[in-house]
Amino acid sequence: MAILSLRGVTKSFGEGAQRVDAVSGVSLDIERGEMVSLVGPSGSGKSTLLAMVGGLLTPTAGQILMDEVDIVQFGRGDRTRYRRDKVGFVFQGSNMVPFLTARENLLLVAQFGGADKSALRRRADELLNELELTSVADQLSTRLSGGERQRVAIARALMRDPMLILVDEPTASLNTELGERVVDSLAAEVHDRNKACIMVTHDDRMAARADRLIEFRDGRLLNDGST
Amino acid sequence: MLALIELKRRKLQFGLVTGVVALISYLIIMVTGLGLGLNEQAGTGLLALNGDHLAYASNANLSVIRSRLTEEHVAEIAAAPGVEQASPIGYIAAVVAHGPGESDTAATLGVVPGSFAEPNVVEGEQLSGPGEVLVDRAWVRLAGTAIGDMLPLPIGFEAQDFTVVGIVDQGSFFFQPTVYVPLEDWQALAYQGDPSSRPAASIVLIQGEDLDGTRGDAWQIVTKQEGFRNIEGVQAQQATVNALRYMGLLIGTLVIGVFFYVITLQKVSLLGILKAIGASGTFLATQGLLQVFLVTLGGALISVGLALLTEATLLSSDTVPIMFTTDALLTSALSVVAGGLVGAALSVRQVAAIDPIIAMQQQ
Ligand SMILES: Nc1ncnc2c1ncn2[C@@H]1O[C@H](COP(=O)(O)OP(=O)(O)OP(=O)(O)O)[C@@H](O)[C@H]1O
Ligand SMILES: [Mg+2]
Repeated sequence: MAILSLRGVTKSFGEGAQRVDAVSGVSLDIERGEMVSLVGPSGSGKSTLLAMVGGLLTPTAGQILMDEVDIVQFGRGDRTRYRRDKVGFVFQGSNMVPFLTARENLLLVAQFGGADKSALRRRADELLNELELTSVADQLSTRLSGGERQRVAIARALMRDPMLILVDEPTASLNTELGERVVDSLAAEVHDRNKACIMVTHDDRMAARADRLIEFRDGRLLNDGST
Repeated sequence: MLALIELKRRKLQFGLVTGVVALISYLIIMVTGLGLGLNEQAGTGLLALNGDHLAYASNANLSVIRSRLTEEHVAEIAAAPGVEQASPIGYIAAVVAHGPGESDTAATLGVVPGSFAEPNVVEGEQLSGPGEVLVDRAWVRLAGTAIGDMLPLPIGFEAQDFTVVGIVDQGSFFFQPTVYVPLEDWQALAYQGDPSSRPAASIVLIQGEDLDGTRGDAWQIVTKQEGFRNIEGVQAQQATVNALRYMGLLIGTLVIGVFFYVITLQKVSLLGILKAIGASGTFLATQGLLQVFLVTLGGALISVGLALLTEATLLSSDTVPIMFTTDALLTSALSVVAGGLVGAALSVRQVAAIDPIIAMQQQ
């Protein structure tokens, strides 16, 4: 059973002549344990798709089934819990809270409720270690380099052990070697813990480290196959 | 805790607004204190009288200065149903010389020695007969008068020396410290004309129940509080002071409201990210309100500290009519905190309306 199923998902912005179909009638299934990379030219709708799957944007049409539940129908509270518990989102920018340290940015999600705080503290240490951030853990996030910030964002997305990890350009400001390590640790997380991950990337080498490659063009699926 | 960490890490920003809140709150406290102090000077002497009602001449419009009652009126009032005890009181402002070239006005009240209208002394003896005077502590502070001193009270163009036998703690009346003489002496001080046509009293102090609104042909009874409110200037003064207080509170509310609104606007994209990763609107609003609460509480506490400091230094002299009560300090401080929370309501709505998608767009 697919963990995530998209059925005819469409998103258009604007009206009339200004109308942009960012995503048009996309249907696809993603299984547990699957690491998917999503590639396509700028403006092809990758971020828009991710935002809909992450519960940040409502599709104009279509269904998004997470564990067979249509998240499009969620009310405010369900949507907040979905974002908090089911999805780990790494945004295209790094999106840290500037006045918090790296570690505090991770522990932030412990404040949203619904989880055991001491377990989350252990999880934070684990992730900082895994993503090679231990030495900068107590630096304000504004002092971190772009690559460090990006890894903190990934760690933050993994904090609450989400079923689905959504990553927009995770390696843009990492050098190749570090980028590969980050992607590999994401892939390990997905395989070892039977999760699913959609990773948007422009980097073919990174894309190739996933199990499956989806190519987007003008808001539509162009190609979908294994790497 | 997100809210607390932000307060700690953005000390300058939040410190400034705390300072502004403290100043506004200080202003409100001082104005409130001024109101209390003015009231105190306007009429504590009246409120401190040992009775619950006062009788005035009907044509006096509840003015102690204008009210004159005859023996008959006083007798009628004492006999009115519901009156348990009644005692006449006279009032006149007397300019008293108390040093070479120094003189001040004393609110001189005539009371029947030994009656319930005579205030109890805190030092010395009660009045026992003519030629004696009790002086209030405020007068002692002003003129340095001591028990046994002579106090020259003016009768016509002369002055008669009264012996100070006791000190009372009754407060002021008409912004003047009070002194108390036997009623007969008051008659002589107040009216130099034909003794047979002298008024018997200005007002009558009454103990009794359900008397408000009782009236005779030439007199009327009101509660002591009503009498106080009708002291010349008290109402205007209270209205002015209250207007200033509410203005201060309004300004405080607006300043805090605008400040947090601006802070919220600055943080829109950050708040969007937090929502995108699973923070609820309620959580974020609570964090914001917690900050407002702490900032206003901090400001209010600082202002209370400043006020107490002011009291200990500037206000230790009697010349500034500002006084603080614990009640007034607490009410002012709490109203500032409440005002701040009201002002923040706007920002709370703003937070609730933030769309997490901006987390994706503002990159
Ligand atoms: N809020 C919006 N309002 C109007 N148009 C939008 C909005 N968000 C996205 N679009 C449009 O939708 C299209 C797809 O945008 P999207 O951000 O999904 O592209 P992308 O594939 O992520 O591009 P990139 O690789 O540059 O990040 C673009 O044409 C964009 O201009
Ligand atoms: Mg994008």
